[in-house]
Amino acid sequence: MWDGILTGLGTAVMPFNLLMVVVGCFAGTFIGMLPGLGPISAVALMIPITYGLDPASGIILMAGVYYGAVFGGSTSSILVNAPGCASTVVTAFDGFPLAQKNQAGKALALAAYSSFTGGTIGALILLFAAPALASVSLSFQSGDYFALMLLGLTAVAAFSGKGQVIKALLMTVFGLMIATVGTDITSGATRFTFGSVDLIDGVSFLLLAMATFALTEVIMTVLRGQHREAEPEMDMAALGSMKLSREEVKEVAPTIGRSSVFGFLVGVLPGAGATIASFMAYGLERNLASAKEKLKFGKGSLRGLAAPESANNAASTGSFVPLLTLGIPGSGTTAIMLGALIAYGIQPGPRLFMDNPDVFWSVIISMYFGNLVLLILNLPLIPYISRLLAIPRPILIPLILFFSITGVYLVSFNTFDIQMMVLITVIAIFLKLLAFPMAPMLLGFILGGILEKNLARALTMSDGSFSFLWDRPLTLVITLIAVAVLLFPLLGTVLGKLRGKGPEAAVAEGEG
Amino acid sequence: MPLSKDHIGGLVFLCLSVAYGYYAGEIALLPGDEFAPFNAQSLPSALAVLGGILSIALIVTADRSSAGRLQLAGYDFWLVAKLLLLVVLLGVALPWIGFLASTILFLIGGYWLLGVRSIKTLLLASVPFSVVLWFLLAQLLDIYLAPGRLFTAMLGG
Repeated sequence: MWDGILTGLGTAVMPFNLLMVVVGCFAGTFIGMLPGLGPISAVALMIPITYGLDPASGIILMAGVYYGAVFGGSTSSILVNAPGCASTVVTAFDGFPLAQKNQAGKALALAAYSSFTGGTIGALILLFAAPALASVSLSFQSGDYFALMLLGLTAVAAFSGKGQVIKALLMTVFGLMIATVGTDITSGATRFTFGSVDLIDGVSFLLLAMATFALTEVIMTVLRGQHREAEPEMDMAALGSMKLSREEVKEVAPTIGRSSVFGFLVGVLPGAGATIASFMAYGLERNLASAKEKLKFGKGSLRGLAAPESANNAASTGSFVPLLTLGIPGSGTTAIMLGALIAYGIQPGPRLFMDNPDVFWSVIISMYFGNLVLLILNLPLIPYISRLLAIPRPILIPLILFFSITGVYLVSFNTFDIQMMVLITVIAIFLKLLAFPMAPMLLGFILGGILEKNLARALTMSDGSFSFLWDRPLTLVITLIAVAVLLFPLLGTVLGKLRGKGPEAAVAEGEG
Repeated sequence: MPLSKDHIGGLVFLCLSVAYGYYAGEIALLPGDEFAPFNAQSLPSALAVLGGILSIALIVTADRSSAGRLQLAGYDFWLVAKLLLLVVLLGVALPWIGFLASTILFLIGGYWLLGVRSIKTLLLASVPFSVVLWFLLAQLLDIYLAPGRLFTAMLGG
């Protein structure tokens, strides 16, 4: 393990990779600050850029953008009560009231310290948890992989929120259907191409990710008329001091500690992600608070701000555990990273630890650097970065649209891809209006190929029998977990709806 | 009974699953593959059945409350249609007038559609950006960006 850590350290401290961390954190912070664009869109926008880099640098850049975007979302939550992404909605509960009391500087500093601690504790646990899990999963066979893919797909659907389970499952199936378009890797037969040469290689992951997240999100802001809203005005002179008193540090330290560990554990669960972690950590902290403390929640409580901030960053780190060790993304954002890794020719999963130790370890090590960059560089520069928000929306929106389109075009140089993006965007907008979540579709699409390959191999080896699902205890356990994860929320939804209860508002689609 | 979002979604996915299942049966198999435990039709057929079951489940358990109805008021579909048409036009223009000219025209068109009317802003926010980007891609990163058939035909080369 120490050899791997040294390899990762060697890769992560290369000047170019350090530059990628800094660039990623800055770009992520800026994109994350823009209302409507969260970590998924930010990472999707980076994919075309990373195609020109080596895999380790590319993933380091995307990881930097990821936690930069989470931090950027917190900044706009605190300063203008406009969360950049779902995982920082809770930050606004207590962050914005603090800003209204002329304590925005303190709130930003506390958010940065909490994010830093959450991210660092998360990265430390990841350092030990990931290799342990990876070494266990080295004994996996195709049947186990198939069961794991099932678990990943069902977990994402299960965590999509009450009333959304069937829709999330349908979107997963839709993603799997899109993955079958093109040439079948096992037999070479073409499927669903309808005679089009452009579809023989299937739908590109980059195209799908950019169309459903970057392009659709920007178009949705226009659809909702948000481009007409005035740019947020921030009085930087009223930020106030960024210092925390000794008493305040003592008050929030235990909160940050437990929320970090809690956030990491939630983040590890496939599909749960930073959004659920931040909501749960806030709820947990409020339940743990005394009656007097409870009254402060929602009115500028430091604990109420520290809890979601530590939890969402720790969860972002935690979501790398299933990605790096099992090849199952823990969130929508890591699903995009999984697709990017596959596009590089790297298969995330147990073998990554052995075959590409530089990628595996440098991503983990670069997380420390990313957290340091956010704390040391981004925090003092927030007043300047946030000035970028003053760029008028009618200027910013066509630019983001343009980057989304050319990002795809400059990889394929095929204008068919642009028309295909428009078609997918129209479908995605229609589905979003019908409240269908997008992340399960992308996950289904990414895992579709691997799932089919492992299912084909397992079925061929067991002579067409599905007994491979219960022959080995390990496969059986994973299958049972997948079935349980699927059935409990599904039964709850079906029974609740049949009893006439309307679905409750779902936590945004597992973003983050 | 008015259709809710769940009803519409369920019906759309049911139609999709039926059409997908139909075309799954049309996938050409290699001789003997139909007897293999797993062939090119296996997963698509399973997905069509699964999609159908889930679509029916969504229709049966659809949220019938007013909150579940599709509300389209307040959305600017016309502007979105114009923006998407602009994207389609960018795709059409790229091979004909090249990267630089189509970028400038796309950005000016986008700004204009979103309400920017000042000629100075339209030009300043598009031309320098496009030229710098083109220079970065074509000159610094050495990415070949075809000048466009129209320019090639007019200027030769």
